[in-house]
Amino acid sequence: MAEHARVHFQDELRALEEQTLGALDLVVATLDRTLEALEHQDIELASIVVHDDDRIDGRFLEVHQGILSLLALQAPVAGDLRTVAALLHVIKHAERMGDQCVNIAKVMPLVGHEPPVDAELMERIFKMARLARSEVAQAKQAFTLRDVSLAQDLVRQDEQINALNREVFRRAVEIGTDEDRREWAMTMMLVARALERIGDNAVDIGEQVAFVVTGLFREFSDASHV
Amino acid sequence: MSEHVSERLEPAVEPPRLIPEPAAEAQPTESIFDVNGVAVFYGDHRAVTDITLKLRRNQITALIGPSGCGKSTFIRCLNRMNDLIPSARVEGQVIYHGQDLYADDIDPVQVRKRIGMVFQKPNPFPKSIYDNIAFGPRVMGMKGDMDEIVEGALKRAALWDDVKDRLKTNAFGMSGGQQQRLCIARALATEPDVLLMDEPCSALDPISTGRIEDLMLELKADYSIVIVTHNMQQAARVSDMTAFFTVELDAGEKHRTGRVVEYAATDKIFTRPDDKRTEDYVTGKVG
Repeated sequence: MAEHARVHFQDELRALEEQTLGALDLVVATLDRTLEALEHQDIELASIVVHDDDRIDGRFLEVHQGILSLLALQAPVAGDLRTVAALLHVIKHAERMGDQCVNIAKVMPLVGHEPPVDAELMERIFKMARLARSEVAQAKQAFTLRDVSLAQDLVRQDEQINALNREVFRRAVEIGTDEDRREWAMTMMLVARALERIGDNAVDIGEQVAFVVTGLFREFSDASHV
Repeated sequence: MSEHVSERLEPAVEPPRLIPEPAAEAQPTESIFDVNGVAVFYGDHRAVTDITLKLRRNQITALIGPSGCGKSTFIRCLNRMNDLIPSARVEGQVIYHGQDLYADDIDPVQVRKRIGMVFQKPNPFPKSIYDNIAFGPRVMGMKGDMDEIVEGALKRAALWDDVKDRLKTNAFGMSGGQQQRLCIARALATEPDVLLMDEPCSALDPISTGRIEDLMLELKADYSIVIVTHNMQQAARVSDMTAFFTVELDAGEKHRTGRVVEYAATDKIFTRPDDKRTEDYVTGKVG
């Protein structure tokens, strides 16, 4: 049999994968900015995060159109078909993660320039953020390498994020009677919730890695029974 | 074969041994062919080897694979067409409804009546449309009203409405797609229960191809179909099961021998094949 047939199609598929996984780099960069804004209560930087989300949304549209074209014109099958189907999920998750950064950036002005910060609660938020960032980067690496073990390891990290989220909730409940502090704590719960969702999206990408490699889709952990 | 038709059309001459009729209550998944360790030789050259698979009733089975992998050689084993090639020899068993097709007392003419073949290029006889269809039943000495037989076959091939007013005109005046449907009708006229199709659409335009594919999907309610195709999307569109053949060179790299790499539900072959060679072929990485 002749080797290396359909070179043009394989190039197109590779480019589409790079474009899709590149969206996860955009998410990591956006997450970094979001946290910097949060750390310094930098409302201007937060507004840049909101506006820059158009880049991730634009990437979603490009990849979406690219996937439609590839399906229509090249009729991928087997492993190629699974990759294309998975890329559609990955780009959707990237777009959702971008939206979560926007959610965080949008609530920041609500707490004012000098909010009554609780160091213990903030420490947990930043831990969550570091884990979420690590999960997004690891999801990308797992997809690039088609590494199912690396993808499954995302569950371990996500459990840490979930535990921290519960701690943030408890800390917010115990924060005291001062109205400004309670309002700030409530807002931080929204931030924690957004970070927790980013972790979930990363795990979902990990599940797509397993699907591409094995051909079978299974949730790594059944959230409905946790 | 539908029961009422088999009652109507008794063969005029009893074959040496009757090939058993499929049971009326047979399940769709019943195997119609059990192929066991089949190898085909042309002289000393082993063209295909180690073919073992079950072909199911009322299903469309697609045979895919690169040129020279033995798909056509294999499909021709299923109705003893290889008997017509002097140097050809078949080893192994082709069991059709429990009967070894290559047993000494089986009449190949009766085999080809029950297992029809449609070829790559439409090959109507240089006769009228009517005579093309009536040819097989006349040769077989089939009883019954010939007009009814011709009309029935043309209707089953979705050609009746196109040609009912010009049955006496020459078949060569038809379009390529119509000629191929005529050949399908001709194969159906002898009341087969299996239809073998060797690249039936490769000489047709996309519209005619679509019509043949629609026809195949309609016909599988009453017939079992085996199709050789180079068009993988066609295999994906119409077939229930797909067998992927490949070709291997012997140690001296002189002789090419075909064999089945993977045989599974079409959906599986085109979404998650087990064998990397299948994956590489269907995705077009090798061809």
